[in-house]
Amino acid sequence: MHSEPVVKTSPSQIFLKVSAMIAIITLAGWGARAAGLAPDMRSVVAVCTFIGVICTTLFFWTHRVAAAFLGVAILIGTRAMTLQGMLRATELDIIFFLIGMMIIVGALKDLGVLTWIIQSIINKKNMTGKSFVVILCGLSAVLASVVDEVSSIVVVLALVFQVCDTLKIRAMPFVLIAVLCTNIGSAATMLGNPVGIFIGNKGGFTFGQFLSGATPIAFVALIATTGILLAWFRKPIKEMTEKMQEHRKDNRGLGPIVRVPYKRGLFVLIATVCIIAFHHQIESLLGLKGVENKNAFLIVTPLIIAGLLMARNPQRARHYVEHDVEWWTLLFFMLLFAISGSLSEQGVTANLADRLSSIVTGGPDAMVPFVIGISSIGSAFVDNIVFVAAFAPVIQALVERAADYSILWWALLFGACFGGNITAVGSTANIVALGMLEKRAHAHIPFFEWLKIGALVGLVTALIAWGMLTIMPVPHPAITHEASQSQRQVTKAPDQPATCCPQP
Amino acid sequence: MNNTQNKSKAALTLSSFFSDADILINQAETDRDALIRKMLEHLAERNKLVDIDNYFQAVIERENYSDTVISPGIALPHARIDNIKKPYIGVATSLQGVAFADDKPPVHLILLVLIPSNQPGLYLQIIRSMANILRDRETPKKLAGMASAEEVMRFFDRGGLVLPSYVCAADIMDRSFEALRNNDNLKTAIDALIAKNLSEMPVLDSEGDFVGVVSVNSLLKVCLPEYLLWMHDLSPIINFEPFAEVLRNEQSSSLSDILIEDAPVVQMSAPAISVAGEFAHRNCSVCYVLDGNKLVGVIDLPLFLSKIFRE
Repeated sequence: MHSEPVVKTSPSQIFLKVSAMIAIITLAGWGARAAGLAPDMRSVVAVCTFIGVICTTLFFWTHRVAAAFLGVAILIGTRAMTLQGMLRATELDIIFFLIGMMIIVGALKDLGVLTWIIQSIINKKNMTGKSFVVILCGLSAVLASVVDEVSSIVVVLALVFQVCDTLKIRAMPFVLIAVLCTNIGSAATMLGNPVGIFIGNKGGFTFGQFLSGATPIAFVALIATTGILLAWFRKPIKEMTEKMQEHRKDNRGLGPIVRVPYKRGLFVLIATVCIIAFHHQIESLLGLKGVENKNAFLIVTPLIIAGLLMARNPQRARHYVEHDVEWWTLLFFMLLFAISGSLSEQGVTANLADRLSSIVTGGPDAMVPFVIGISSIGSAFVDNIVFVAAFAPVIQALVERAADYSILWWALLFGACFGGNITAVGSTANIVALGMLEKRAHAHIPFFEWLKIGALVGLVTALIAWGMLTIMPVPHPAITHEASQSQRQVTKAPDQPATCCPQP
Repeated sequence: MNNTQNKSKAALTLSSFFSDADILINQAETDRDALIRKMLEHLAERNKLVDIDNYFQAVIERENYSDTVISPGIALPHARIDNIKKPYIGVATSLQGVAFADDKPPVHLILLVLIPSNQPGLYLQIIRSMANILRDRETPKKLAGMASAEEVMRFFDRGGLVLPSYVCAADIMDRSFEALRNNDNLKTAIDALIAKNLSEMPVLDSEGDFVGVVSVNSLLKVCLPEYLLWMHDLSPIINFEPFAEVLRNEQSSSLSDILIEDAPVVQMSAPAISVAGEFAHRNCSVCYVLDGNKLVGVIDLPLFLSKIFRE
């Protein structure tokens, strides 16, 4: 588990931040009321609470779970959300999926496959700074796409620190390279990011559909990013090459050479990805059809694999559950989903969708750059899952109006994942990487140093996503309408009007 | 109110714990135990103390644990006593000297200290208050040559031996320690750790400034990087392969490879409780005491426990 980076804040900074938060929340509440997005007091409370939690993640990151707890209490206390509505909106299916995947990653560490990956790179002959960076970019992206961005960054940074500590060079540029490519790779599959599974599940995509839409764009974005990073960090890369040559002259390696047993771990990893990849076919085979079984086997597969791994090694099962599952993060996700659910319950997101479709004329094609742009900028300043949780109901409401709008799920995915690169707080992987860098190398990446390269990579990859979404046919979910019908029914509170038809 | 209390505590002098009637001049006893018993009986008579046999037992037990000769010619036999509410100090001088330790010269000034059990730091505060006396090696003989208790009392009164208001890190540290230099190589460090049977050693730069610590644990971490320890079961690595690289390069590797810069340190004037804080918060067993950046002492957990609970 990763501890929170400690941020010391002076009383005057706290005062300023709290004042800014109050101003933003008040402005958001007033604006939503004035714009007709939040027609009554309960919907204003829902907007203010949601904005309050977002502001907390921005200004007081370590207090985000506390803020989410209080937010849920405020919503229920003011009847802006029902208890049943809250429980439904926590997206337990996604949470269970993430728990299963985290246990699998814990077991993969135990089985040596992740150690083997690092060993294989360290033992590579005649490596140069440039080839190391190319491998680092590829590994970060591929690993993120199969074992999620946070697990991936932990593994990749272990490699970076091993190499940089051995060569006695600054790890910071390579940490940045790894984290930027991790965020890009995390968009490639549903496994890469909580954003991926959230959008995939909400949008009703199968794993295969998601793969065929997301992977080519992530791949092109990765190639472009690798090129940019090789040019941007040419000096530290050159220094690494020189140090590697010196090291080789002294007949020294980059780390201990150990024969690691990896085959069982590799088998588990490949089996997990394959079963998840064919979940739709397995669901059909098992007769799991209809909205209530949407992506059922996709969600259940990590639980099955995790269950088997724990049954095989009962002595370690408790360790996997207690130490490898990021309970703190998952708790925050659940509460955040619940709080954003209140916006749907109060009809705010449906109103926002109405307003957006009237402002951005030109249909889905015109809306794509708008969604990529807004989600990139939004994700740059709040964790991308926070932004996606806020924006997903709006897209869901738009898709209910016209199925063509389902392209916006892709725009949201790439905007959120690629936009997460812009600043250090853009994604969970960034924050974990910063914490590891502080702990391991006692170094910090200044905000503007990150912003310069992050903004460049964010802009280029966002443009690639827009361009490819325009020219490339992307899959449309088959059951979106059915799913949305179901959601409409379940989000209707006993004493509230239906979510998509707010009271005037 | 608190300020007043602190001020009065800070102004507490060593001589305020006894009067000239508590001083036994030029004692003839040369036997340690006999003198201690005599001093105890005198203290008991003056202060109506009972249970002398138990006090004697406690003082002798403490003395046998390790002698209390704090400086050549001065001994501070003492014990922690449960049923007394304030400290009692008796003073004795001896011209011919009393043997308190086989390997040390006879002592000429003896301060017998009975401390309430609930004031564990008091003994250390008393020792620190005597710093001025300890500096002059002739003081014990000078005091032993004084003809009256009043003269001895005047010496203590004039000396301004003030008890510090708290026990600080310097009071409990060990001033003798082994250290490595930052330009030493890994081989020197490993040899030193093995030869001296230590689990860690401080590292100093050429100016004597503290730069960090090398430990057996940090050495193990170089041999077994974090990513190897992800595997709970290391049994497949049967031939210590991870150690081979370190062994091959130990002469050419600098200490920076295993240097822990973020070591537990306190300044010498820091309250001793902050040493306890370092031990507890950082789960470590050695704390380094600095004067500015200079390393002046080391406190390990057994020393800390012995100073606070047993001395």
